[in-house]
Amino acid sequence: MSETFRNRLLLLVALLLAAVYLFPLYWMYITALKTGSEMFRAPPSFWPDDPQWSIFPFVFQLKGMGRFLWNSVVIASGSVALIAVLGTGAAYVLARYRNVWIDVGLFLVLMLQVLPASLMITPIFVLFTLTGILDFPRTAVILAIAAKSMPFFIVLVRATFMSVPMELEEAALVDGNSRAGAFWSIVLPLARNGILVAAILIFMQAFGEFVYSKSLIQEIELQPSSVGLNAFMGPNTNEWNRIMAFASIYVTPILATFVLLQRRIVSGLTSGALK
Amino acid sequence: MTKQIEFSGVNKHYGAYHALKDIDLSIDKGSFVALVGPSGCGKSTLLRSLAGLEKITGGDISIAGEVVTTLPPRKRDVAMVFQSYALYPHMTVEENLTYSLRVHGVARAERKQAAAEVAATTGLADLLHRYPRELSGGQRQRVAMSRAIIRNPKAFLFDEPLSNLDAALRVHMRKEIRALHDRLGATSVYVTHDQIEAMTMADHVVVLRAGVIEQQGRPLDLYDKPANKFVAGFIGSPAMNFLPATVTEGGSVAIDIGNGPLSLAIAVAAPAGARVLVGIRPEHLTLTAPGEGRFDASIAFTESTGSTTFVTTATTPELMVVETGRRMVASGDRVGLSFGDASIHVFDAATERRL
Repeated sequence: MSETFRNRLLLLVALLLAAVYLFPLYWMYITALKTGSEMFRAPPSFWPDDPQWSIFPFVFQLKGMGRFLWNSVVIASGSVALIAVLGTGAAYVLARYRNVWIDVGLFLVLMLQVLPASLMITPIFVLFTLTGILDFPRTAVILAIAAKSMPFFIVLVRATFMSVPMELEEAALVDGNSRAGAFWSIVLPLARNGILVAAILIFMQAFGEFVYSKSLIQEIELQPSSVGLNAFMGPNTNEWNRIMAFASIYVTPILATFVLLQRRIVSGLTSGALK
Repeated sequence: MTKQIEFSGVNKHYGAYHALKDIDLSIDKGSFVALVGPSGCGKSTLLRSLAGLEKITGGDISIAGEVVTTLPPRKRDVAMVFQSYALYPHMTVEENLTYSLRVHGVARAERKQAAAEVAATTGLADLLHRYPRELSGGQRQRVAMSRAIIRNPKAFLFDEPLSNLDAALRVHMRKEIRALHDRLGATSVYVTHDQIEAMTMADHVVVLRAGVIEQQGRPLDLYDKPANKFVAGFIGSPAMNFLPATVTEGGSVAIDIGNGPLSLAIAVAAPAGARVLVGIRPEHLTLTAPGEGRFDASIAFTESTGSTTFVTTATTPELMVVETGRRMVASGDRVGLSFGDASIHVFDAATERRL
């Protein structure tokens, strides 16, 4: 088997796998554009005969999606801000110090990652009710998401900090800076890429978060898009085109962001983001 | 001469590991001091303690008369050149050079001028706007040096700054660093594992082993009068030959190099019967015709570098002889070995101290 033939074969396999993987996304977009009758046609059509572009503004208006999306953005941004501030500090400490307590801390952090949201929600709900945090439902969700996603952020950012040589910090100390000053002017700029990538991943995760939002937010005005989408789907729903339109409006911004930043994200995840 | 740096009774423990043991060392203002020893001897720890990067667990360190033991690095006013250079990768050469000035709140115009002046003397003038990753190893080394110079600190600390350079550049930078030191009239402390660097660059050499100062003094004093077997073997290249011997009646010694005891008339300050080690540097042994030297030996093999010939004898222990020029001897040849009494070092076999 020649080199080029093998490469072409591998490319074909990769394209096939990508097609399988991306098929639901494709199906979401074309279903949104189909008319009610075309949607249930058998065999199904793979391209709508008469694309219903007007469904997007219609569903946006009908469901008040501006509010849902805004709530999603508020919750995601709040979570990212909280996680970035606390997580960066925690990751730095876990990266720079080596002793038994750090190992214990790291183990506990990783433990948190293991617990599923649906298991955590009951104790969180009880705690937030008792402390009154539930009176601020979006804040409550932000706190819950921060607790859930922090470990992921810490593990990623810790690896980034570990790739910044200790000698650079020592050089800054000898050059007359304080520990905090060296962190701000040397370590943080060098770890910026890694932190940014972790923050983007957390944002996307929080933007689509469902379990905590569904359980903690009763008022429809405060619910994010994920909960809005869920409310759309009743037991006897047949408005699949509208649901898919809602879903398209919801995920397209995230997809676009990912496509735009993917080179950076991939390089940030694979390399130490240095040099 | 005033003392610029003083260590008194400095100890450093890492848990149970005792890295520095009662170090007493004073360094004159304006001198170039080399800390030398095998890896793990504590030389880097001593330097880092001076910079404030390691907290010592006992004793005191003072710089320019001020006790700095508990001060953080930024309050010690020393500059350090790291083995890896530790250039800030996200800053240009100019920003690297002026980082300390920026931290100390020096105005922008003044910083730029200082950078330009230093860059002119170290040959970096054309590289000020490059990033470290765009520089060669030698250029990075210069940036690291310049970053230290720009501050006019109380002392320069070097942590094996030449070990990442190739051999030719290393020899060149050795001279350059020394010239820089002389020009600035600075006090420098230089850590190296390479005794040649220590010997050629320093005014004062401190030999460390296992956290203890084995000997300190002027380079040639260490070479001429090593205080113990370790220093004798560490200073000088190729290393000194050591022959186990016994002191005989009348003050001479009997050595055994594999073919029966051999008596050498050397005055030794030890009682008869004492076990000693006789040390002779390879460059102090000369080859003669058989029977004309102090004793005869067979040659095991020879290595020639063109300018010098290294001859190894077939004795136990083997002896290394360095001959200047080319020498027409081959392995298996029988030769005589000759040396002057003044070039003999005698050490106690048990304590390894000089007698």
